[in-house]
Amino acid sequence: MSREIDCRGLACPAPVLKTKELVEQEQPEKLSVIVDNEAAKQNVTRFLEYQGFVVSASQEGSDFHVTGHAGEETVSKPTPAETAASEEVKQKIMVMVGNDRMGHGDDELGSKLMVSFLTTLKEMGDELWRLVFVNNGVKMTISDSEVLPVLKELEERGAYILVCGTCLTHFNLLEKKMVGETTNMLDIVTAMQLADKVVNI
Amino acid sequence: MEFPTDENVIVGLDRADDAGVYRVNDDLALIQTVDFFTPIVDDPYWFGQIAAANALSDVYAMGGTPKTAMNLVGFPLEKMDISILREIIQGGVDKIKEAGVVLLGGHSVDDPELKYGLSITGFIHPDRVLTKQNLKAGDKLILTKPLGTGIVNTAIKGGLASQETIERVTRLMARLNRKPAEIMSRYEVHACTDITGFGLLGHLAEMVTGSGQSIRLLGDAIPMIPEAREYGQMGFVPAGAYRNREFREGMVEFGRSVDRLTQDILFDPQTSGGLLISVSRDVSEALVRELKSDGVPEAVIIGEVMSTPEEKIFVQ
Repeated sequence: MSREIDCRGLACPAPVLKTKELVEQEQPEKLSVIVDNEAAKQNVTRFLEYQGFVVSASQEGSDFHVTGHAGEETVSKPTPAETAASEEVKQKIMVMVGNDRMGHGDDELGSKLMVSFLTTLKEMGDELWRLVFVNNGVKMTISDSEVLPVLKELEERGAYILVCGTCLTHFNLLEKKMVGETTNMLDIVTAMQLADKVVNI
Repeated sequence: MEFPTDENVIVGLDRADDAGVYRVNDDLALIQTVDFFTPIVDDPYWFGQIAAANALSDVYAMGGTPKTAMNLVGFPLEKMDISILREIIQGGVDKIKEAGVVLLGGHSVDDPELKYGLSITGFIHPDRVLTKQNLKAGDKLILTKPLGTGIVNTAIKGGLASQETIERVTRLMARLNRKPAEIMSRYEVHACTDITGFGLLGHLAEMVTGSGQSIRLLGDAIPMIPEAREYGQMGFVPAGAYRNREFREGMVEFGRSVDRLTQDILFDPQTSGGLLISVSRDVSEALVRELKSDGVPEAVIIGEVMSTPEEKIFVQ
């Protein structure tokens, strides 16, 4: 038994109410609801999913056809409306740079590695969300830093560069900072809570 | 379009705020606002109360004290008994009395669709005007009423809500924002608005735009009417919530644990919603405590202001 109802021209909640009436009175195996606005499409989809139907929607001109098939055993399962939006979510990576060298041991090697690391960081793409410089790390952001162009490029690509204000003051480098926003510990801590991943170098 | 203005306009049309503010002298400014709508509940007396609470709210959101009111009425004389109008106005009058406001007059027209609302005038010191601007990094955000009235009202229209739910939500919408406004005036508050048609995220987006700050919201901390989740899942989300999302979703980033239903409630248009207060973090806990113990039980910290210039709202 397949039924179709036309809910074009109806504002919410009328399309859901008409669908509800049909489902309750006739318990159709399959039904199709025609609506003409996005809110009605989403609401009818939700209602049918809530009732255990498997739902698909298609667009024809300015109309939407929402079709529901009665599921086999209507076990209550999380509906797409309940799970997070299905479009792929990029993660937010926060990189903390606490030194002007990478790793311990040879300082000259460490400096080279840090330059190489920051230059290669763009490979993270737009998942690089925050790049935070603290302690000796702030020296990477001042006028005579070798990686200044690299950092500016990262900033242009949309990463936020945060530079510790206390550290700049300590080294007397506040005026020499050439890239990024001066930040404080509260911001750093909040950013850590927001990030999906925090990488400490 | 160009609008007339002069040097005494403190808050005018150039930036959309809850109400207009006009300086009378160095110690006094007038707050003016007008608001009316079609019935949201069946009971005429309660509709009158809600319409008045909603109109008064704009004055409270600016930090002011409402003083005088005028009625605005559109009434279908041929279709409805005049006793209905009497009840609506009685509801409005009782609510403004509760607020310590006097009624000076009003105007009514014959209208095929019933409408009621009020124009309210309030007083404020010109230096103490609270607007949507002026978020400060580190501030905590406090919300004083739970969200979800749009969804619940849609379910009421659909005949789904129980009498008990209808009464509870009606009382919530009819509750004045007077208490939170009075209490917050004793604290270091930087910005304030009331939550209405654009939903929590829509109104927050207005505060964030141009602020140079971002917001972190704690999804789990945000108070919601319990039935709103159930009705939302059944498809009783008002069209306004979808419009609000479409308009502002570019400014909002949802964490993975924030499900679609929660997102819809954060975009749900509110009728006579609570105040959203941005207050210095050092006194935020004390303000919430005082609100809770003095007639605003749902008041809670829902997030904070971050000094990151992307002007986004992160919901976790």
